[in-house]
Amino acid sequence: MEISFLIFQLLNGLTEGMILFIVASGLSLVFGVLRVINFAHGSLYMIGAYLAFTLSTLFQDFTLGPYLLLMILVPAAVAVIGLGLEITLFRRIYRKEHLLQLLLTYALVLVLDDLVRLIWGGDIRNVSRPLVLAGSVDFAGFSFPSYNIFILALGPVIALGLWYLLYRTHWGNLIRAAVTYPEMLGALGTDVTRVMTGTFILGCALAGIGGVLMSALANIDLGIAMEKIIDCFAVVVIGGLGSVGGALLGSLIIGVGKSYLSLVLVRLAMVFPFFVMALVLIIRPWGLFGKPER
Amino acid sequence: MSKTNSNRKNYLWGIIAIAVLAILPFLLITLGNKGEYWIWVITEMIIMALFAASLNMILGFGGMVSFGHSAFYGMGAYTVALLIKKAGVPFFLALAAAPVMAGAVAAIIGWFCVRRIGLYFSILTLAFSQLLYMIAFQWYTFTGGDDGIHGINRPEFFGPVTYYLFCLAILVACLLVMRMIIRSSFGLAIRTTRENPERAKFIGISVQRYQLLNFIIAGAFAGISGGLITELNRFAQTEFLHWSKSAEPIFASLVGGMYSLIGPVIGSTILMFLKIVLQQVHQSLVEIWALFLGLILLVVVLFAPEGVMGLRQKFLKKH
Amino acid sequence: MAEEILRVEDLTKSFDGNTIMNNIHFSVPQGELSAIIGPNGAGKTTLFNLITGYHLPDSGKIILEGRDIVGKQPYEIVRLGIARAFQRTNIFPRLSVLENMVATVISNRKGSLNMVTPVQNLKEVHERAYQILESVKLRDVAERQSGILPHGDQKRLDIAMALALEPKLLLLDEPTAGISPEERWQTIDLVHELWQRLGITMIFIEHDMDIVFKISQKIRVLCYGSLLAEGTPTEISKNEKVIEAYLGEEV
Repeated sequence: MEISFLIFQLLNGLTEGMILFIVASGLSLVFGVLRVINFAHGSLYMIGAYLAFTLSTLFQDFTLGPYLLLMILVPAAVAVIGLGLEITLFRRIYRKEHLLQLLLTYALVLVLDDLVRLIWGGDIRNVSRPLVLAGSVDFAGFSFPSYNIFILALGPVIALGLWYLLYRTHWGNLIRAAVTYPEMLGALGTDVTRVMTGTFILGCALAGIGGVLMSALANIDLGIAMEKIIDCFAVVVIGGLGSVGGALLGSLIIGVGKSYLSLVLVRLAMVFPFFVMALVLIIRPWGLFGKPER
Repeated sequence: MSKTNSNRKNYLWGIIAIAVLAILPFLLITLGNKGEYWIWVITEMIIMALFAASLNMILGFGGMVSFGHSAFYGMGAYTVALLIKKAGVPFFLALAAAPVMAGAVAAIIGWFCVRRIGLYFSILTLAFSQLLYMIAFQWYTFTGGDDGIHGINRPEFFGPVTYYLFCLAILVACLLVMRMIIRSSFGLAIRTTRENPERAKFIGISVQRYQLLNFIIAGAFAGISGGLITELNRFAQTEFLHWSKSAEPIFASLVGGMYSLIGPVIGSTILMFLKIVLQQVHQSLVEIWALFLGLILLVVVLFAPEGVMGLRQKFLKKH
Repeated sequence: MAEEILRVEDLTKSFDGNTIMNNIHFSVPQGELSAIIGPNGAGKTTLFNLITGYHLPDSGKIILEGRDIVGKQPYEIVRLGIARAFQRTNIFPRLSVLENMVATVISNRKGSLNMVTPVQNLKEVHERAYQILESVKLRDVAERQSGILPHGDQKRLDIAMALALEPKLLLLDEPTAGISPEERWQTIDLVHELWQRLGITMIFIEHDMDIVFKISQKIRVLCYGSLLAEGTPTEISKNEKVIEAYLGEEV
């Protein structure tokens, strides 16, 4: 097998990994601050993808401009939906048993996924890539889609943005403090709701961004929500909840692993996240970054 | 009310309920064709009640939220389907194999899942059941993939009424076994792992081991219900393994009341009624069953998480 | 000279870079009633956590009756004979007091795997449970839900559960914490009486110096993860280092 082919697969894997990172980091942050694992995160990602599709049909020529507009509008829309969910539902369950919180977000997946099916139907959709990114670049002996390069470039930018947000802003400090010392969040007084709601909106926006990026990368169908949330679970089992660094590592492992395995057998690629989860559970049940739960 | 008196009262109610359920099909059969449909409905209700009760061993008594219980239901279903259709095994033997296979799969999946607690446990149950679904979906030659396995024979003596009574008998038998387990030392140990898993360790209980055992038992019972549904519908399909199938026993346990054995049974009955009502109102409404279920689940979680039995407790305490 | 039941050797533990336990070394003879004192954060509860297997030490040995138990799971260590009563009440709140006890007694007798016999039919187990509840004066509230009991009662239940494990070594983490002054002496007299009657080796963590000096045979002083001093109450009260580091502030 040629080296260039292996590099091609690597870059493909990293591309998928980047999108997964963007989505998984949202899930991880929401958990870190709100202590709720939002099963519906995958559904929000899917909504983002379908919204991107619908909005894209409004444009005659799909150039870079409209696409960038999409990149702003869709995450904003998903964030608004998220805000609505937070106000009407999540706020009521913060203090309740974990059991009920889990059941709530699970019920939400049922509702959202079925709503998407009702609104958009079961057909496969996709968004065409903006003209300037529709081509490919010749590189080290093979052609690599420009769109993928765009994602590969965007991923670290977002990662950097998140890092900046978490480590260089006041709000970020609050988030990090809340992740490590959940008890302290109460001591902050009125800031608490703002931190929690703000983090939730951020998480949803990240899911939306992931959806938009994905919409032009591959086909959109009703199964992508569950597929993504399971991938996110694998990321979280590897990297732990609440850790953006862990999310990055986990996402890249899943992305690249899937990519290489699809060379051998597509089915193997599909079960890779489960395999990784199982492996981590045997060797280091508390995740690569966590501490033993004793 | 003293304990023996309330026990006796419970026994009485139980016998009355079983008697009513046993007579029901004979009443329904008088309705002719429509009657057969309704008998089919109540048979499915009985089977779903078993499925829900099996989940509740993990959920209500074990305090662990499993979103992947459909895996064992589906496992039981496919075991019966494959044994009858492809190996020509007689029904009763195939049904006996269902809990064994389902229990075996529960042992494997459970071993991985109990290595993490709480939240992580829950997402792992979802993940692994999804894995099973994917395998069944992909393995066309063996499981028929999306088409499933059809044309499963039913032994001649099983008419609609006799099969219903058979399922009812199995349900009652399983509930009695579950009741025995819950009231035993093992059941008490499981409840301690629910109440305070840390403390349970400190009284010498190996929490993971007990949780795994409970998980296997629950999985085996779910397998029986899966086997029964296959025989009822005479087919097995991948829907049985789908993650949304796990929602029904969760709903039933929550609505009926998690902390009692009868709660899930009541919840399944309510669920069945809702399905029927929905169907009567508008045929196409059944298409949005998932949406409907999700919405009701939301309402219950937010406003009445202790379910029917819990509300009854509250009512009894006040009066 | 009584045989040694517990020996801790060079025990070290740090969390996130902070050294909580620094090369602790001591030996406990069988039947001794001793106290561990020290300022907050000195590592007393951590010591109990290490001995009971809740945390893994970075290095060192914990030798119970000649056998190193480092690395064993908490439930295994319980079976080897160490029982613990907790600082913050740690019972099974929705179960009744009796059920708390029965569960413990059954577990102690390795009967928890029995899936057939109804618990209420286990006469002997119930008798034993009532017996222990009697000895901690909780028999009257046996049927009540344990989670709604007053704090003092919950603490006594905690101790009762530890006793039900028939331990060789009993660790009591601040048995009088959160209890009213009048009840404190009741609880401590109870502990003392149990010790005299049963002859179990007991180690307790306490902040109330009157109690510590009144009943303990030996006192060990922990300060910033190190064993500052070890001796009889009289010796400790005269120890310069201890007075400086700790007692001086208290008194």
